[in-house]
Amino acid sequence: MFYRLAGVRHTSYAADRALWPVPVDRWQIRALLALAVGAPFLLPDLYLTSYLLPWLVWSTAALGLNLLMGWAGQIHLGYAAVMAIGAYGAIHAVRLGIPFELALLGSGLLSAAIGLVFGFAALRVKGLYLAISTLAMQYLVDWIISHVPAISGGSQATLQAPAFRFLGVPVAGDWSRYYVALAVCVLVTSFLLNVGRTSFGRALAAVREKDFAAAVIGVNAFYFKLMAFWCSSFLGGVSGAVLAFCYYRAVTPEQFNLDVSIQAVAMVIVGGMGSVIGSYLGAALVLLAPIVLNNLVGAFARAAALPLHQEVLSHIPLILYGVLIVGFLLFEPLGLAKVYANIRNYFLVWPFRHARH
Amino acid sequence: MDVVYFIELAVNGALVGLMYALVALGIVLVFKSSGVANLAQGALAMVGAYVVWWLGSATGAPLWAVIPLGVIAMFFFGRGLERVALRRMVGQPVIMIIMLTLGLEILLRGLAPALWGTLLKRMDIGISQQPLFLGDILVNRAYLVGGAVALVLIALSLLFFNSRQGVVLRAVSDDQIAAWAVGIRVERAISLSWGFAGIAATAAGVLWGSVQGIDWTLSLLLIKALAVAILGGLDSIAGVLVAGIAVGVLESVIPGYVDPLVGGGTRDVVASAVILLTILVRPFGLFGREQIERI
Amino acid sequence: MKKVLATLTFLAAGLAAASPGAAQDKTIKVGTALDFTAVYTFLTAEYSQGQRDYIALLNARGGIKGHPVDIMVVDTGNQPQRGIEAYERFKSEGAVLVDFLSTPVSRAVVPRALNDGINVLTMFHGRSDAADGTVFPTIFPASPSYWAQATAIIKYIEEQEKGNLKDKKIALVLIDSPFGREPIPVFEELSKRLGYKFSAFPYPSPGNEQSATWTQVRRERPDWTIIWGAGGGQPVSVREAIRNGIPIDRLASVIWLSETDMNIVGASQTKGALRFEGVAYGKDVPLIAAIEKEVIAKGKGAGPAERVGSTYYNIGVATMAVFAEGARLALEKEGGPLTPAKLKRGLESIKDYTADGLLPPLTITSEDHQGGGRGRIAAWDGAKWVPKTDWIAAHQDIVWNLIRQESAKFKNSGN
Repeated sequence: MFYRLAGVRHTSYAADRALWPVPVDRWQIRALLALAVGAPFLLPDLYLTSYLLPWLVWSTAALGLNLLMGWAGQIHLGYAAVMAIGAYGAIHAVRLGIPFELALLGSGLLSAAIGLVFGFAALRVKGLYLAISTLAMQYLVDWIISHVPAISGGSQATLQAPAFRFLGVPVAGDWSRYYVALAVCVLVTSFLLNVGRTSFGRALAAVREKDFAAAVIGVNAFYFKLMAFWCSSFLGGVSGAVLAFCYYRAVTPEQFNLDVSIQAVAMVIVGGMGSVIGSYLGAALVLLAPIVLNNLVGAFARAAALPLHQEVLSHIPLILYGVLIVGFLLFEPLGLAKVYANIRNYFLVWPFRHARH
Repeated sequence: MDVVYFIELAVNGALVGLMYALVALGIVLVFKSSGVANLAQGALAMVGAYVVWWLGSATGAPLWAVIPLGVIAMFFFGRGLERVALRRMVGQPVIMIIMLTLGLEILLRGLAPALWGTLLKRMDIGISQQPLFLGDILVNRAYLVGGAVALVLIALSLLFFNSRQGVVLRAVSDDQIAAWAVGIRVERAISLSWGFAGIAATAAGVLWGSVQGIDWTLSLLLIKALAVAILGGLDSIAGVLVAGIAVGVLESVIPGYVDPLVGGGTRDVVASAVILLTILVRPFGLFGREQIERI
Repeated sequence: MKKVLATLTFLAAGLAAASPGAAQDKTIKVGTALDFTAVYTFLTAEYSQGQRDYIALLNARGGIKGHPVDIMVVDTGNQPQRGIEAYERFKSEGAVLVDFLSTPVSRAVVPRALNDGINVLTMFHGRSDAADGTVFPTIFPASPSYWAQATAIIKYIEEQEKGNLKDKKIALVLIDSPFGREPIPVFEELSKRLGYKFSAFPYPSPGNEQSATWTQVRRERPDWTIIWGAGGGQPVSVREAIRNGIPIDRLASVIWLSETDMNIVGASQTKGALRFEGVAYGKDVPLIAAIEKEVIAKGKGAGPAERVGSTYYNIGVATMAVFAEGARLALEKEGGPLTPAKLKRGLESIKDYTADGLLPPLTITSEDHQGGGRGRIAAWDGAKWVPKTDWIAAHQDIVWNLIRQESAKFKNSGN
């Protein structure tokens, strides 16, 4: 009923190839965009700055990682290191007086260049070995950042994000930071939405399914694996920079440690590999679940006057976070994207369920 | 170059390396039988230590009685993990399985402190702390005991692979489907290897717990164990032994000479560098089977 | 479908439960977002228990000038993003003071707090340079910084060596992290002034294996050894020191060495080990005794009673005592309701406050948020910590040089 397909006719190739051939989907996207733009007017500051903003930035990051994991089928357990390179690169660049827009691009390029080094490991090995070598690189990058004072910012190991302007507008308040993050997020999302329709995206899919087979049909698997690392690291670097400037407003080495890499991978897997909406959903769940659970457990314990110590209470969200990851892998390996697709499929024919068969 | 200094670093490093090898042993046992990289082994060691501590403090029983109990409990805990979680993942892509073990790690890391408390716990296995000098070389008694236990356990597992049950495990690791075809119960064999991983974890947890006290940081042994397992070859038990000693010596000697120069703890980098270099130069490790699929 | 709906309702309930309630009439709100689950686990449980027990004592005595105090406790897992969320939530709840007990989280929140004018209490953690009240108007370390701790330890050594440190060797064994490296400039500066030979030996974080480092230390044959770590690395350091034949009564530690660590190594073998102390230890302190009588004995304690009087428990009590004193002064002078700005002025008018003997005399001014930098050296006697000195502060000129230098850097970073 809502997803009315009857009467929707595509009279040109362009219409047939549209991103959202179903009108309802188009309306949903418009409504979501309108909501995103209007969010500062609708939401209290608390939710804007500490829920919506990090969610957008982390979704951007998850999209970048998803390009590598979902589209190209590679594993990366060092994504936070890539983001760290972008964040530090951008902050140092802006401190040197380079405009923020250029610094953002530059940080992306820097991350991409170093990310390529991660990629070279992918040329040698794959699967498990790739995972472990990226893990080792995460440690190396962490170590270098925290041991070179010129990078980490001296004895306090904290670098403040300097004031900056975006497209000529000074970015100072929560709102303007939010809009910068939103702009980057929309840009990256539209890139990811379209990547599957390009020859690049198809080549990545071919490499993912079987690299020998890809080589047989004339896809240079070497080149495209490296390109996947390059692109994904570029996006990671940019989102790291946005994270540093718009959300943390300062960088410290702890913001990008191994746990963060694991979180990023969890976002992609829980969300659904190779799915744009999945990246959003995954980021929401992995990022917000510990916070919401924490508040929920606290409120519940207070209300029910549970005789539990704070020590125990605060471990419950951590346990649930582990359960969440394990549970998704066991019971819904395709992730939240699949859950969303199930719901959508249900409503495609609702209320005429018999029409599906 | 001071020879005594070098030897002391090397000896203690080798002993520590053997204790890393004990954690790595669990990874290798599981990988050998099922091809699963068990990134929860560090957390398993932590749970093992907590369980032994808890049995000891709850019953007041002496340690020699508690440790076997803990070993038995962890044997079944390992098997339980395999039955509940890993078995369902057969046939899933590698990344899913890696993530599952990481998820288990997070879960255990939350569960153990929630059940038994976050403050550091003491695990006293009765090793004296007085300095022990062999000639001019100071040897760490705790590591001496730890290294000996590790040696014994690794030797036992080498022997085990020559027994009937061990041959079954070898068959499974060679070719699961062929093993199935000749009537070997593959699931049971894999489950058994997880049980052994639990045993190795308990031993590692108790030994490391006696060195550093018990809290969640025991699970951080994972990265060192990974370095050992990768260097030795993920499916080679003899490799664990050699690589453990190698990683331990490198980790001890390199910082001993480099740290004063660069003024930083280079020790952490050694494990990562070992992993990277091994994977780039000889991905199957020193003794692993050369079966790595490359492009 | 049902499952999804259930999940959604669950999440909605979570957000609703977590949404800020209406501001209460007279209640003063304090937010503590601590790390119960990651790096700081070694102290958080005791610390938070001390904080809550002290607040319970305050409320049992009728609050601060009739204003009850509500303490909010959440876990951050040492993750900056969760700390920021907690901070924003506290802000919307109307908290006048927040405490994070985590250096990374504090650092992430400092720019926001400076912007919003909410007071952050960073006793014994966080940025040392925040002691400069002119650059960090609402950040209150209110305790000897790591730099001041280093000078106090050297002062003690100086006294033991009868004022002559010429050609003595002092070794610093540190965890290889910004926290561990922080005191190095102080030790180096003092070595120029006092003539001792200083060398630093880092071990990798978290420090569960340090044998190679201590081999180097032993070969250095230091006259005094100072250990600079926290958590699980500390007992390992002490144990390795014993093994390597370092005289235990010439081993001094930064503040993070507690009776738990000593018991792990072995209470009797560690007799004589020294540590810096910023807060008195034990149950004999009048304030702790009062808590025991009026809170614990009535079954209102926030945790196991045997933890009362432990090192980190007392530090927790001290943090809230400093806050309460600031709040009392503010309410006395300016009347209710308490706002962050009033509390800031209140804290800055604290003068010679000792919390019934729990703290060294603390005097905070609008320039000096360190509060004097006093502390003392205590020794482990096998069962408890025994103070070896009075509350002392030494070489504060070096400390303040560093504070000004670093805070100027912060200022110039154009925040």
